[in-house]
Amino acid sequence: MKKKILLVAVMALLVVSAFAGKVTIWSWRTQDAEVWQKIEALLKSRGQDITIEFTAYAPTEYDSKVNLALQTGTGPDIVYSRRLPGGRTQVLIENGLYLPISDHVDLTYFPQASLNSVTWENKVYGVPFAVQVVGIYYNKDYYDQFDLKEPTTWDELVANAEVLKKNGIDPFFVSGKEAWTLTMQHAMVGVSILGPEWIKDLTEGKTNFLDPKFTDVNKRLNDLKIYYQNGFMGNSSVDQDASFAFGQTAMVFYGVWGYQTWKQLNPDINVGYFMVPPITTDQKPYAYTYLDGAIALTSNVKNMEDSIEILKFCATPEFGTIFAGVTYNIPAVTGSTLPPDPVLQEALEVYSNHASPYVYWVGSVFTTQKPSLYDDVLSPGMQEMYAGKLTPEGLSKMAQDAISQWYPPLMNK
Amino acid sequence: MSIKLRYLLVFIIPAMLLYTVFIIYPLFDSLILSFFSWPGVGSRTFVGFKNFQTLFTGSYAKELFNAFLHNVYFFLLLILLELGLGFLIALMLASKIKGAGVFRVITYIPNMIPLVLVGFMWGLFLNPQVGLVNQLLKLVGLGGLAQPWLGLENTALTTIILVNVWRNLGFYVLVILAAILDISPDLIEAAYIDGANNWKITWRIIFPLTFSTFRTLAILLFIWSFNIFDTVYALTGVQAGPYRSTDVLGTLFYRTAFGGLGSGAVDMGLGASVTVFIFMIVMPVSILYVYLVEKRQRSA
Repeated sequence: MKKKILLVAVMALLVVSAFAGKVTIWSWRTQDAEVWQKIEALLKSRGQDITIEFTAYAPTEYDSKVNLALQTGTGPDIVYSRRLPGGRTQVLIENGLYLPISDHVDLTYFPQASLNSVTWENKVYGVPFAVQVVGIYYNKDYYDQFDLKEPTTWDELVANAEVLKKNGIDPFFVSGKEAWTLTMQHAMVGVSILGPEWIKDLTEGKTNFLDPKFTDVNKRLNDLKIYYQNGFMGNSSVDQDASFAFGQTAMVFYGVWGYQTWKQLNPDINVGYFMVPPITTDQKPYAYTYLDGAIALTSNVKNMEDSIEILKFCATPEFGTIFAGVTYNIPAVTGSTLPPDPVLQEALEVYSNHASPYVYWVGSVFTTQKPSLYDDVLSPGMQEMYAGKLTPEGLSKMAQDAISQWYPPLMNK
Repeated sequence: MSIKLRYLLVFIIPAMLLYTVFIIYPLFDSLILSFFSWPGVGSRTFVGFKNFQTLFTGSYAKELFNAFLHNVYFFLLLILLELGLGFLIALMLASKIKGAGVFRVITYIPNMIPLVLVGFMWGLFLNPQVGLVNQLLKLVGLGGLAQPWLGLENTALTTIILVNVWRNLGFYVLVILAAILDISPDLIEAAYIDGANNWKITWRIIFPLTFSTFRTLAILLFIWSFNIFDTVYALTGVQAGPYRSTDVLGTLFYRTAFGGLGSGAVDMGLGASVTVFIFMIVMPVSILYVYLVEKRQRSA
């Protein structure tokens, strides 16, 4: 009997020691591996004996893998979760596979806008990790060479493009083969040209996609295509990165996450950023910003104590400083020190003061059901319009027909 | 010689178990799932025929028909190119030309390249500005033909099919070559002695004697054409652009089941109804294939 008790005790000790101090984290972001190495080293230097096992999976397989693993009890302690609203995360919360962290972690360093994207029924599910800022990134050397200024109106943007084109420079590089970049382009133009108030009205059903203002955005984008590189419908975002980094084009409609790649490809590139300019100077320009995701605690957690410690650290400005230093992304936590880089500083300023509170692309209600404005309307619709097969009015009708099928405020409008 | 049942079972049961777990169960589960709405987690909601209604007459009807036609086009072009071109190359290799062995290896090499790499390579080759294809066209004075091959509605799907042919042709060449080499040389020699020329030997002797191989390959091509996903995914992505001009049932399934881009809604039930549709197309042809193989074995 004594032997049996001893055996059980040894086994229990082995099981406990196998998990003690180790925290497993899954993500779709391969670029974050170094972040966790640095955090592990920092925590160890402070006497917290935590080993972080970070694994990144292909973004296209990530969600299915997390779903399956959490349901079968084989998931990690912590995962990177997608933002809310969105079916993928909500369903995991509803089924108890993500655990609320509000009682364990101090979230005072996060603005409410960020917390809204991880809050469900008054409970917070995850520590927001990064925000993305999209807009127009431009080659400052070309702007200096041709004495151009950052445009404050749409017409000035077109005038700048005209000057660049006349001088043999491709004004814009557009990745027409990847439809998501076109939807992003539409969304970032929309927040400035239409403005958040119009998008709020759309969300509440006070207007709809057939509004001439929405068609006007379609038309402006369609008219702008004469300033895109030849054959833009066959280019990918990888082509865009190379072309922009090596100075073959002057401007791109993109997100701040591209900056690290451009700098890696060409450390000498001189990049500037501006929000898509509105129609007139009396309109305030807005930037499309969104929370990339959160670091969430799963129901499969085996090392609760250390996982909570990790999450607590993720909610500090110190985490943000490490994160920004490695990834050149804007951390969601405020009070961090960013690398001394004007583009990052400007993106942060824009996020703080010009983020559109209402949007219709990532993070909006219009992408949460099928047919989705993202997947089923703007992705094929923008390509079709740029190919000359769909009119700007046709794109508006396509949007209204699709969303009015399931979104009550826009039904029968 | 009679074999005792228990010995038979020892050999059959492991295979049957594996087949049931990995083929029969997923098949029936997909069929059942197509009557439910399920985001991949939690309980399933029974919706009856709603998924099929959405697919055939609702918001996805146009995309379903469009994707189906693309699968048909895929099949027709693959038959023409992979079997037609495969036959010609196999004939050339069978005629024992100098360096036939090297050509055979060269033809088969693309088949060994992982598809992800194929997608990456051809993405570079087909780059509109600096890609190899357009640069070669310019080099030979055909710069007017240079275009964004994967970015135009009229060329994108055909381009993907050609990449598919480039990758898989070697397999068809090898199979057809094996069938040609299986023909007794006496038959061909006798035909030459009787005064037949190469053309007549090809069409009156070689083709009829390898026809059963063509029939088998054609049926396999049909099944593969309706299950195609990877090549399209690697070259134009899950959005199957431009504006769904390269969409096939496989990519439509992916978008409906896994939600496509961003935080879009996930509905495994709707995706399962697409797979049921694919199954209904492929199953009769598969049965025909099994019947023909059985018939061939009986007559052999």
